[in-house]
Amino acid sequence: MNWQRSGTIVLLLMPGLGLILVMIGSVFYVAVMQSFGFFNLVGEDQFSLEHWRDVLDSRAFSRAFQYSAYIATVSAIGSVILAYPIAIWLRRPFRGSLTVSAVLKAPLFVPGLVAAFLFLNIVAYHGVLNQLMMWLGVIDEPIRMQNDRNAYGVIFLQIWKNMPFALLLLSGAVQAISDEVLDAARDLGAGPFDRFRKVIAPLTVSAMQAALIIIFIGAAGDFAFQVTAGPTNVQSMAQFMVFLKDSFGRWNQAAVVGVCLMGLALGGSLLLAIASRFLLRGGRW
Amino acid sequence: MSDTAPDLVAADIGKVFEDGFEALTGINLSVAPGEFVTLLGPSGCGKTTLLKTVAGFHLPTTGRIELAGQDITTAPPERRDMAMCFQSYALFPHLSVADNIDFGPRQNRVPRDARLKRLERLLSQVDLGAHREKLPNKLSGGQQQRVALARALAMQPAVVLFDEPLSNLDAKLRDQVRREIRGLQKDLGFTAIYVTHDQAEALSMSDRVVVMRNGRIDQIGTPEEVYDRPETAFVADFIGAANILPFERRANGHVATPIGDLTVTEPPGPGASYLVWRPEDAEPCAADAPDAITAELTERAYQGAYTELHVRVDASPEQRLHLPHAAMPADGRISFRLPPDRLRFVTGALA
Repeated sequence: MNWQRSGTIVLLLMPGLGLILVMIGSVFYVAVMQSFGFFNLVGEDQFSLEHWRDVLDSRAFSRAFQYSAYIATVSAIGSVILAYPIAIWLRRPFRGSLTVSAVLKAPLFVPGLVAAFLFLNIVAYHGVLNQLMMWLGVIDEPIRMQNDRNAYGVIFLQIWKNMPFALLLLSGAVQAISDEVLDAARDLGAGPFDRFRKVIAPLTVSAMQAALIIIFIGAAGDFAFQVTAGPTNVQSMAQFMVFLKDSFGRWNQAAVVGVCLMGLALGGSLLLAIASRFLLRGGRW
Repeated sequence: MSDTAPDLVAADIGKVFEDGFEALTGINLSVAPGEFVTLLGPSGCGKTTLLKTVAGFHLPTTGRIELAGQDITTAPPERRDMAMCFQSYALFPHLSVADNIDFGPRQNRVPRDARLKRLERLLSQVDLGAHREKLPNKLSGGQQQRVALARALAMQPAVVLFDEPLSNLDAKLRDQVRREIRGLQKDLGFTAIYVTHDQAEALSMSDRVVVMRNGRIDQIGTPEEVYDRPETAFVADFIGAANILPFERRANGHVATPIGDLTVTEPPGPGASYLVWRPEDAEPCAADAPDAITAELTERAYQGAYTELHVRVDASPEQRLHLPHAAMPADGRISFRLPPDRLRFVTGALA
């Protein structure tokens, strides 16, 4: 390939790739630099590790980090676990399967904040669920379910919102497995669970990894679900970041949390992806 | 082989799919241990449906399937002492050759030592020892087919079911793998049910051929029987080349046909509807020889081992003759005779 041809390819890629690199790179660059005392909105720019030390020493940060990692991991795994059986069920078309598939994907079109408010209406102290259970005589007085301390509400919302996305990715992969391959596994003595574990899951591991990564990243950076339906005794990373910026104008510390959030998103999603491939394909890439 | 008790029996099998399509009707078939039976028929005749019903992938609507005296009609595929070789090979693309072959024994919890011995023996039998760690997509079509066969044999099943296993191979490789399958079947002695629409494959491999049409069995017999003594016009037409003519009965062992009056050794039975003769049955003769038929040559096609001639007698339908090294006659006419013992009568209508 001569330099003219290489140059043409680079020029052709510039509008797309260049824009992506500039946009992502600049955001990442500013966040990292700000965490080290540069790009100060107030005061002089000065290199400092003080912001990192302050944040990493803070108990609130470590709780936020663990909490976001927990929410992201459980949401990603939960969404994929729920999406698999549905993708297998919808693998071959049947009467009404298109409608079922469309209804299952409906949450993709509902904004997260709207979903969180609707969820609050259901689980609130005087919400629909409590009213229904009291009317049925299951409970005598309302149960406090809103903003529960274990963040089950946030996890429910994350899975509700992300499961259709996992389904979208997994459906294509599951449909690509031929009937004969599954029949062969059955013919060789594999029951339903073994057919899933030894054939379907390894053959769809790439789609599963994509779903795990994208859901993990989204859930790790969640703000809307957390501030609406999350526990009040702990903050998510995004919430903590906004808290630092809003409460004390500590932009540099917020940038440290932002960089850590990016690190969590990258590290956590890679870990999930590697673990899933290792578990399902025995390390064979 | 017919002296032994049947190993696999399919009695009065019928299959109607959910959309109302009747795929199989009144199928009765028994297969002896160690026998190689081929289900032969055109696309859509129900042969694969019958195979999958025997395998357990389809539940028959009516009838009963027995294996070694046990009723297995409703048993799932994984509980039947059978293994299947699929048309697309259906190898697990994420597993190596060795892991593919070992899948069944591992699934059935065969002890590790026995599994490894079985794997080594099969790899050697199908000559794939050098490829044991390769993924299926790194193998040729013929090698993939051998892996599929080894994977089925690793189950040590009583019956191996083949669903058009050679249809994706080129002609030369098909012939080679065909002989390998038959050789292994004879060596190991397993019972085989083999589906194909290739009549040459059916005739060359089988102990018996089951010719199917529209979900029914038209004829069951040895390859020689179905070729030399077809019972229906469909079987005569589907297996090999055949000239099929309407006829009228005449006295003294004669029948009248569109190519003239013909002498027959056996008179047509009460249900006979057509007279059949094979293109290779024609014997060239002089125009004035007794029983000579003189025809106008319309087309000549050299086929290597023989030459195919298309001829017409007056306004008769075109007839085919297979003659070794036949040259184009100068006057465009050819005379031949049909030995009376080579003329057969068949029942039924043409497809």
